[in-house]
Amino acid sequence: MMNIHQRASARRNALLMTAATVLLLIWVFPLLWATVVSLKSESEVLAYPPNLIFKPVFQNYQDAIFGDFSILDSLLTSVIVATTTTLLTIVLAVPAAYAFARLKLPARRTLGFYTLATQMVPPVGLVIPYFLILNKLQWLDTYQGMIVVYLTFSLPFAIWLLVSYMEDIPFEMEEAALLDKASRLQTMWYVIIPQVRGGIAVTVIFVFLNAWNEFLFAVQLGGNTVRPVTVAMYNFVSVEQTLWAKLAAAALVAMLPVVIIGIAAQKQIVKGLTVGAVKGGGRR
Amino acid sequence: MHQSERRFAMAITMPALLVLLLTTTFPLGYLIWSSFQTLNLAMPFLDGFAGFSNYVEMWGDSRYWHAMQLTGIYTVSSVTLQVVIGLGLALLVMQIPRAQWVFRIVAILPIVLAPVVVGLFWRTLMLAPNFGMVDFLVQWLGFEQINWLGEPIPALISVIAIHTWQWTPFAFLVFLASLASLPGDVFEAARIDKANAFQRFWHLTLPLIRPAIIIVIIMRAMISLAAFAAIFAATGGGPGTATEILNLYAFKTSFVELNFGYGSALAVSLLIITMAVSAMLFRLRTARTVKPQ
Repeated sequence: MMNIHQRASARRNALLMTAATVLLLIWVFPLLWATVVSLKSESEVLAYPPNLIFKPVFQNYQDAIFGDFSILDSLLTSVIVATTTTLLTIVLAVPAAYAFARLKLPARRTLGFYTLATQMVPPVGLVIPYFLILNKLQWLDTYQGMIVVYLTFSLPFAIWLLVSYMEDIPFEMEEAALLDKASRLQTMWYVIIPQVRGGIAVTVIFVFLNAWNEFLFAVQLGGNTVRPVTVAMYNFVSVEQTLWAKLAAAALVAMLPVVIIGIAAQKQIVKGLTVGAVKGGGRR
Repeated sequence: MHQSERRFAMAITMPALLVLLLTTTFPLGYLIWSSFQTLNLAMPFLDGFAGFSNYVEMWGDSRYWHAMQLTGIYTVSSVTLQVVIGLGLALLVMQIPRAQWVFRIVAILPIVLAPVVVGLFWRTLMLAPNFGMVDFLVQWLGFEQINWLGEPIPALISVIAIHTWQWTPFAFLVFLASLASLPGDVFEAARIDKANAFQRFWHLTLPLIRPAIIIVIIMRAMISLAAFAAIFAATGGGPGTATEILNLYAFKTSFVELNFGYGSALAVSLLIITMAVSAMLFRLRTARTVKPQ
């Protein structure tokens, strides 16, 4: 009796594992295959059907980083834009989220709704006026222009994510601090912010990822000076139709930071996704 | 005391609100204003107030209605697929006793990739004729070669598949977390009452994770409506206008044809649709769930 049961459940487990593995493969495959292709020489790449046995070369990576198609400048641009956006967003969002979550903010509901609504604006509805506005200010293809535009999606998102973390802190801590005659600013700085360090970290990760991966604003409002990696990738394909091994190498280098962050901060990201999902808000 | 708290709250919220007002509300106002203008960078001598003429033109524009239809198909099908596959996979993985972390790691990968890179990867490595892996697989299985991005219907299927590929892991992770937080004793009781697997799913799991499903639908619908980079990179809206959702139409009208007035009107209509859909979905959310607090 026991044996039949065990065998049935073993078979069921095997079936489950197979089904799950197939689905897993579907998700890793494009990345895996990009890695394989990036290690092929130009002649090897176009072999069809694709061959799996070949001598890996690192020429494509060398070209992608140092060669004619160097993406180093773009990487630097992305670092500058994403980092500055993240810093500004956090500095603005943390106090606002604190007020939304814990203080008697006048017109809190209205202002909260307003913040949520700004988060839902479709980016194409912003890129059109921004092109005209930045053109007038002569801010097209400048860092300040790009960063201002990036605040439009990072700031509302960050406020909402942080609010849901701030709401979870017990009120007693704040009250104790205030009774001890700490000023409100001190309370925020010494009591609240240490409590939501985790939430701030999650917010930093999300804002940075979104800024790093942004394309629509970058392609239209950037240019030769401000050309983030996402745009560099796109230009690569439209100019060099068939240099696919180099594209794969360049794209993998460009995505390396976010993949590393993704794997290293996997727990925090899932938490951020679900916090957003449970309390509403969150945007990619 | 209260007075000072209010003042302090206002003071620390002000900077963020002012920035939002300046960076989102002002450009939106500008967008609405320009949707009532003739604003064509190719023919600046015609510029001026246009009244509702952009909107009248839109009403009679078959390319606009086509884009609307595509936006609907794209959003509804990709969100449905994400929820169904994501939930199915989450239920499956819940059954697997070990190595759940492998699934979590793998699921993170598509989510953190830039949509534009995802579009490019699919366009080249997966779908390109006589190069891509999907193309190879189709032929290896003995089917006729399909020009995935070169024919209207396959191209539409492809861009929906690409979006679904990238974002199903999001639904999967949220459902996995919400399934893991369900109370085990209820299910134990149901098992003792001899409820079968399907009954347990239909009468217990589904109602319990309903809030999570609705939130996933809301968030994914918003993203679908805002989708741009992956389609732009994979097909550019083509062939012809076969994958030209409203986003791409508004973008191309403004930045390729330089007709910013009409492009603005198209974007305003997308804005209205997005607001309407989110209002509808949020109502759905509050209608049947008891709000905490």
